[in-house]
Amino acid sequence: MRAVARLVHSYFAGTPLARALTLGGLALNVASLLVLAYLPQIEHSLAFAMLGQLTIFLGSCLMPWMVGRLARGHALQLVPRGRLKLLASIYLTMALVALPAGLLSPLVLASGVGARLPDILENPNAAAYFINLGFVTYTSLVLTSGWLYLIMWFLTTQRNLAGVAKALIVIALVMIVPAREIRELDATIEWNLVQLAIVWTVFGAGFMYWPRLRAKLARRPVRREKAAAASRDTWGREVQLMLGTSNPWQLVAAMAVPILLATRPGMRAPEIWLFMLTIFSTVMGSIAGQAATRSRALWLRRGVTRVELFAEVERAFWRHNGIVLAVLLVLMAGMGSYMHLPGELLAAGLPLLVLGSTLSTSLGLMVTRGLRWTEIVAASAVMLTLMIVALLVGTMRVTLPVIFAIETVLAAVVLVLRAVARRRWTHIDWIECRPARELVTRGT
Amino acid sequence: MIEATVQANHLSKAFGTKRVIDDLSFEVSPGDVIGVLGKNGAGKTTLLELMLGFTPPTDGGVQVFGHPSVALPGNVKVRVGFVPQQDELLDQLNVAEQLRVIASFYPHWDVDLIARLCSQWGVDPKARIKNLSVGERQKLSILLAFGHKPDLLVLDEPVASLDPLARRQFLEQLVEVSTDGDRAIIFSSHIVSDIERLANRIWILKDGRLNWQGDLDSLKEAIVRLHIRGDAAGIAGMAVPGALSLRREAGFATAVVRDWTRERQRALEDQNAVSVEVEALGLEEIFLELHR
Amino acid sequence: MFVLNPQSGIPIYRQILDQVRRMVASGQLAPGAELPSVRDLAVKHAVNPMTVSKAYSLLEAEGLLERNRGRPMTVASQARNASPLNKRLQQIQPLVEHTVLAAKQLELSEAELVKAVRKNWENGND
Repeated sequence: MRAVARLVHSYFAGTPLARALTLGGLALNVASLLVLAYLPQIEHSLAFAMLGQLTIFLGSCLMPWMVGRLARGHALQLVPRGRLKLLASIYLTMALVALPAGLLSPLVLASGVGARLPDILENPNAAAYFINLGFVTYTSLVLTSGWLYLIMWFLTTQRNLAGVAKALIVIALVMIVPAREIRELDATIEWNLVQLAIVWTVFGAGFMYWPRLRAKLARRPVRREKAAAASRDTWGREVQLMLGTSNPWQLVAAMAVPILLATRPGMRAPEIWLFMLTIFSTVMGSIAGQAATRSRALWLRRGVTRVELFAEVERAFWRHNGIVLAVLLVLMAGMGSYMHLPGELLAAGLPLLVLGSTLSTSLGLMVTRGLRWTEIVAASAVMLTLMIVALLVGTMRVTLPVIFAIETVLAAVVLVLRAVARRRWTHIDWIECRPARELVTRGT
Repeated sequence: MIEATVQANHLSKAFGTKRVIDDLSFEVSPGDVIGVLGKNGAGKTTLLELMLGFTPPTDGGVQVFGHPSVALPGNVKVRVGFVPQQDELLDQLNVAEQLRVIASFYPHWDVDLIARLCSQWGVDPKARIKNLSVGERQKLSILLAFGHKPDLLVLDEPVASLDPLARRQFLEQLVEVSTDGDRAIIFSSHIVSDIERLANRIWILKDGRLNWQGDLDSLKEAIVRLHIRGDAAGIAGMAVPGALSLRREAGFATAVVRDWTRERQRALEDQNAVSVEVEALGLEEIFLELHR
Repeated sequence: MFVLNPQSGIPIYRQILDQVRRMVASGQLAPGAELPSVRDLAVKHAVNPMTVSKAYSLLEAEGLLERNRGRPMTVASQARNASPLNKRLQQIQPLVEHTVLAAKQLELSEAELVKAVRKNWENGND
C-alpha cells in the first residue's frame, strides 16, 4: 500500500512542473468553490472550475508515462505484486483526479439555476437531486479521464510515425463513443458504474496478463531497435528518413479512418473540424519539433550550411505535409458535401486545416534549444486560438468576413514564426538539443 | 542442507528454431561471485533473464531459492536484485524521487546505506535524471538494486559505461557487499579484468553452452600456453594432442592446451626431443584462445 | 603490503601464498606480525575475499600462519623453520628455471650467470 501511495504521489507531484500544476489546479478549485458557494450569480464561475479540473488533470499526466515505463521494465517484475500495485495506482489516480470536479459539480449545477448553496441545503429533495447529479458527473469524469489517460499513454510511448498513426486511430474510436454519453445528460449513475466496472475489469485483466502473453508470443529475443537504415539514394531521401517524414501515407490512413467513421449520421460537423485540426496539428508539430535534434546527424553528412540545412528540412516537411494535407482537404470537402454542410462552413474551415499544419510545423521548427517556456507558451497560445476559431467556424457564430480576417492574421503569424525558426537554425547549437535516449543495443 | 541460491537443470531457451541457451545445468551457492563471459550475442542476457523468470524456458528449468523462476513468490522476490543492461530510469524525475518510488515496493530499504553511497559515488540526489551523465545513470541503476540488501544480485554488464575510476569504486563496493553475509553475485561482463578480480567462479558461454563452469583459479591452471623448443624436424613432426591452438616455426612452436599435466609434458618432451616451458595465461588470453 | 596482479596467469591466491612465504622467509614478516584481515585486503585490492581466505587457509595449513579468535591472522612463531628444505627449494624452482632460460636466451655462460648471482647475494647481505 505504501508503494501505491508513493506512486500516486509521484504522479501528481514527482516533478516541479507536475507539483505546480496540481497545486495550481487545487487552488483554482478552491477559488471556484468559494465563488460558487457564495456568489453564484457571477457569470464565468464555471470557467474556474473547468480550468481547475483541466490543470489537475495535466498535473497528473506523469501517470501514463511512468506506468508505461515501469510496466515495460524489469524492476516491477521483481517486487512482490509489483504489477498489481501499479494497476491499483492507476485506478486510484483516476478516482482522485475526477474528485475536485465531482465535488464541485452540484454547486456548478446549482449556480446554473441561480440557487445559492445554503438555500439548497435547506430543501432535502433539492439537495438529494443535486448530490445525485454530482455522483453522475463524478463517475462520468472518471470514465473520461480513463480514456484521456489512454490517449496520453499512446502519445508518450510511440516512438515513430507508424505508432503515432496507430494511436490516432485508437483515439478516434475512443473519442467518438464516450463523447456522446457525456453530452447527453440522461447518463445515469448505474450505467456509469457498469461501464466503469467493465472497462476497469477488461483493462485490469489485460494489464496483468500482458507479460505472460508477450512471453508466449516471443519468437525472437526482445526486440532491440536497430539504428535507422542507412541512406540509400539521394540526399533528399536521406533527409526524409532521418526526419521521419518518408512515409506520409501512414498518417493519411490515420486521418482517413476517423473521418470516414464520422460520416455516421448524427455526428455534428464542428467537432470533426476541431478534432482533425488539433490532432493533425499536434502530430505535425511534434514531428517538426524533433527536426532540430535529428538534423544533427545530417549536419555531418554533407557540406551544407545551417541555412541550407533549414531549407532542406523545410522542403522535406512540405513534401510530407503536402500529401497529407491534400488528401485531408479532399476528404473533408467530400464529407462536407455528403453531409450537405453549408458552403460557407467549408470555405471557412478548409483554410483552417492548412493554417493548423503550417502553424504547428513552424512552431516545431522553432524548437532548437529544447522545450523552454517561450516555446510552450507560444504553442499553447496558437493551439488555443486555433481551437477557438474552429469552434467559431463550426457553430457559425461569426460572419464569414470576420473569419477570413482572423485567418489572414494567422497566416501572417505563420510567416513570423517561420522567420524566427529560420533565424534560430542559423545559430543551432546541437549540444543544447540532445536527442532523447533511444534504445541502443550494447550486445548481449 | 543449505538450499542452493540458484539451480538449473537442462535449461534451454529457443526462439523459433534458434537455440540460444542449450541444455545448461549449474548451481549457484551463497557466497559465490560468478562472472559470465561470452561474446556479444552469446546469450548472456538471455541466461540472466531466464534465471530470474523474465522469460520462460523452452526446456528444463531453473529454481531460485528453491522456487521455479517463472513463479517466484513475493518473499523470494525481495531477496533478489537485478541491474538490467539498459537502464530503466524515469528521466523526468530527480534521483531522490526515483529512489523513493522503487524503495516503496520493498519492506526493508537501507536508506542510510544508499545515502552514503550516493555521496561516495558522487550522485546528487537533487539532480534530474535526464541531466545525468551515462556513468551516473549506471551508478543509479546499481543503487536501485542494492537498497533492499538482496541475497542474490544479478548484474547484466553493469560497468560497461563507467570510467576506470567509477569501475574501481563499483568493484570495491561489490567486494564489500560480498563480504557481509552469504550473498551470491552473478554478473556478466566483457571487461575481463574486472571479472578476474572479483569472480571466484567463471561461466564461459559459447554457442549457447557452458564451455567452462568452475573456479577461476582452476581455469587458469587448466589452460596454459606451451613454449616448445627443439630442432626443426622434431618441431615439424610433433603432434600436441588436445591442443586448442598450435603455431609452428623453425625450431620453435607455441601451443595452447587444456588440462595440462606433468605426465603429458614428459610424454611430449620424450616423444619429440623437445623442451617445453609452461606459461600461465591471464583470463583474457584464455577467453581468446577458447574462441579461436 | 602485497602487490597483486589479477591479470597475471598466476591465480591471485597463489600470488598471496608466494608473497607471504617470501616475506616470512626473508624476515619481513616476523613471527607474531599481524596480517591484514580478509575483508580489508579484499576491499583494498578489489579482489574476491574468498580468494584471500583460501590463501590464508592454505598458509595456516602449512603452519605459516596462526588463526586467532576475533583478531586478524598472525605469523606463526616457528614459521621460519616450518618449511623443510626441499619444499623451500621447490618454491624457488620456477624462478631458477626462468632465470636460466633468460640467461641462455641472452647467450650467457653458466659461469657468467653464477658470477652475477654471487654478486647480487653479497650486495643483498648488507
